[in-house]
Amino acid sequence: MRGTAAHIVRTLLLSLITLFGVSILIFLMLRVLPGDPARVLAGLNASEEQVSRLREQLGLDESLLTQYWGFITGVLQGDLGESARTSRPVTAEIAVRIPATLILAVVATVIGSVVGVAAGVIAAVRRNSFVDHAISSVAMMGVSMPVYWLGLLLILLFAVTLGWLPAAGSAEPLSIVLPATTLAAFSTALISRMTRASMLEVLGQDYIRTAEAKGAPPRTVIIKHGLRNAFIPVLTVISLQFGALLGGAVLTETVFGWPGIGRLLVDSIAARDFAVVQGIVLVYAAAFILLNVIVDVLYVVVDPRIRY
Amino acid sequence: MNTTPARRRPSRARSLAAAAALGLLLSACSVEDPEAPATGGEGGGGTFSIAVGIDPDTFDPAGQTTTTVQNMVDYVVETLVVFDEEGELVGNLAETFETSEDGRTVTLGLRDGVVFHDGTPFDAEAVKFNLERIIDPALTVPLGSPFEVIESVTAVDDTTAEVALSRPSPGFVSALSVTTAGMIAPQSVTADGNTNENYQRPVGTGPYTFGDYTAGESVTVEKFADYWGEEPHYDTVVFRIVPEAATRESLLLSGQVDMMILPPVSDIQALQANEDVEVLLAESDRTIFIALDTNDPLLSDPMVRQALNYAVDKQAIVDNVLFGAGEVMDAPMAPSLAGYCQTGSYDFDPERARQMLADAGAADASLELLTPSGRYVQDQQSAEAIAGYLREVGLDVSVSTSDFPSFLARVNAAPSENTVDMHLLGWAPPYLDADFQMQMFRQATHPPAGLATSFYTNPQVEELLTQADVETDESRREQLYCDASQIIWDDAPWIFLWTQSFPVVWSDDVTGISATPTEKFSAIYARPAN
Repeated sequence: MRGTAAHIVRTLLLSLITLFGVSILIFLMLRVLPGDPARVLAGLNASEEQVSRLREQLGLDESLLTQYWGFITGVLQGDLGESARTSRPVTAEIAVRIPATLILAVVATVIGSVVGVAAGVIAAVRRNSFVDHAISSVAMMGVSMPVYWLGLLLILLFAVTLGWLPAAGSAEPLSIVLPATTLAAFSTALISRMTRASMLEVLGQDYIRTAEAKGAPPRTVIIKHGLRNAFIPVLTVISLQFGALLGGAVLTETVFGWPGIGRLLVDSIAARDFAVVQGIVLVYAAAFILLNVIVDVLYVVVDPRIRY
Repeated sequence: MNTTPARRRPSRARSLAAAAALGLLLSACSVEDPEAPATGGEGGGGTFSIAVGIDPDTFDPAGQTTTTVQNMVDYVVETLVVFDEEGELVGNLAETFETSEDGRTVTLGLRDGVVFHDGTPFDAEAVKFNLERIIDPALTVPLGSPFEVIESVTAVDDTTAEVALSRPSPGFVSALSVTTAGMIAPQSVTADGNTNENYQRPVGTGPYTFGDYTAGESVTVEKFADYWGEEPHYDTVVFRIVPEAATRESLLLSGQVDMMILPPVSDIQALQANEDVEVLLAESDRTIFIALDTNDPLLSDPMVRQALNYAVDKQAIVDNVLFGAGEVMDAPMAPSLAGYCQTGSYDFDPERARQMLADAGAADASLELLTPSGRYVQDQQSAEAIAGYLREVGLDVSVSTSDFPSFLARVNAAPSENTVDMHLLGWAPPYLDADFQMQMFRQATHPPAGLATSFYTNPQVEELLTQADVETDESRREQLYCDASQIIWDDAPWIFLWTQSFPVVWSDDVTGISATPTEKFSAIYARPAN
């Protein structure tokens, strides 16, 4: 365990350098984008004086170095600046959106993991049966169907035709069902395929035959001897998917009017709201790094042979 | 008021079972909103909910840019004057408004007995505070240009305010109808977490008080008991923020909202055929056009520009690409503006266009057409169709698009750096007067100073518009705009396309909904249909 602790500390220290690099990258990327934030913000009808006044207020007339220095010293003090569009602090803008994004990502990941792993195990155990083919076909659909399309179809069926579920928003407890299902479709499919492949490999190993030979019940063989050993690559996929869901729920959030951080990011890019975009990207980067550390620890829990 | 009981009952039963399953998971999270429409009380005046597409940036009247957000602010904050349904300017918080003979003093007779939501009286001091606030250089006021003529504001007595202008400005009183010039309680800029620069909880005199804003989700307003005017029916109005048009439509069709704006245009005909909903294709003052770069060697020839106008079958595009959500332009401005007169038409005539292009030596010229995507009704699709018509008459036209800030950076560049031959653009005066539209044809507003992106100028037009700027006689002023329109129409700095419609759709369970030509809906006095 000592080695693991040292590994985590090392990872976290290295991540500081990563975050620093991310901050420079996103800062520069925003500034090479065409489009004057002051003009966009002031609106089409604004006069040139208003635009240049706004440019000054936003500090956009200063040198890049001065602007970056202001940004990074703020970050070190926990201040991500102020949204040009809403005049609210960026930390507050992000904070109100994070719960919605987090809950959606968690629910979708839970659905994806539970359904995906179960389907993958069944497909592996019943290899080449009708069930296996059926699961593979559905998984294929899940991977290929655009989120946008799937989301609208689900809304039409469950909100408009059947009237069972809210079509949009997050105000009611049931609101999460459709967006989470939509979001989970892709990861469920991916996880089930990964689980199947990994299980097939493990089920062919000698120790499985040994376990069967000594008379262990099939359930024990499959779950304890099989799945546990097949789980490392699956865990990697799940964690990557969770990370992607945190950042990649933009389309789902848009279709379902879900008030998450992805929509804020897109709105902010469209409005050239630099401070908010920088803040969100930094938060994403930090979340990804944290997620990787957590997964590193989980590897050790799942497979005690792993040492760092 | 969100769903009829009959429609909702089956959903409740199912809801419970599934809610139990998800309840635990969700109880710890803050996305639940106790004031959510579908669970709101049905007693009293109930709740009216409206699906809109835009998440508000600011509720400060002075900071407004988009009409959707203005529409929400209008429930809370009122203006001195308003345009009525006939498009006539009438008094509101100001019962009377008079402009002096020399056009430089506007006297406002204020309504007596009006109070702000915080209990403070609405009086001449409040008018002075608000008008001075929107000309304060320290504040960002995107729609502030019409108010720059204000020299000073004097509170003569409680109910009389006098505005001195630096020059006669016939459009000034009309501009007071814009949400930007809405009246907020002076004390509220330092109360309730507000600051003058970051004013997020508006306090006005309107029929509703500002309730809640849940970012990305909803805005709620509550009925104001001491409202001076007619009492609205509903106790609570909820604006649901749903960016996807098809989802807004689903919310309406499933009875989860009472009204929506901007459905997917391709569904308009199906909605019109649906007996459960009403569709209003409201007239808007937003003109959509292809601005032609009159500095371009080829496009500097008016004959070429006229030829482009003849080459495009605008009616066919309105019918087939916009699904009827537009009216072909017959003047360089929308008919709802004061100063409009029917000017002319460029009837679809590809033969004539081809001939004119040949005569001008532009028979097989190459042109780039830049278009925004998703900003105006079917903008990119229309641009593609227009390019198709132009190719029909022998031109080599390529269409390109980009996100709006990049688009704006290109079309708003100074002439020396401007590389755009033609671009599709929309322009909507915030108040119904020709002066704002005419900025598009004046040298003073050529980019980068303004958005007169065809760089058009004509000394006669400049002269007529300069006269109109200070002409206080209404009919003479309108004639000046009419004369200028005629010259502009013949000079054809644009391919004149259409004024776009503003579609509003509501459940037939409700009534009392209309819209104004400034792309705003009027639903404050919505009520149940029976």
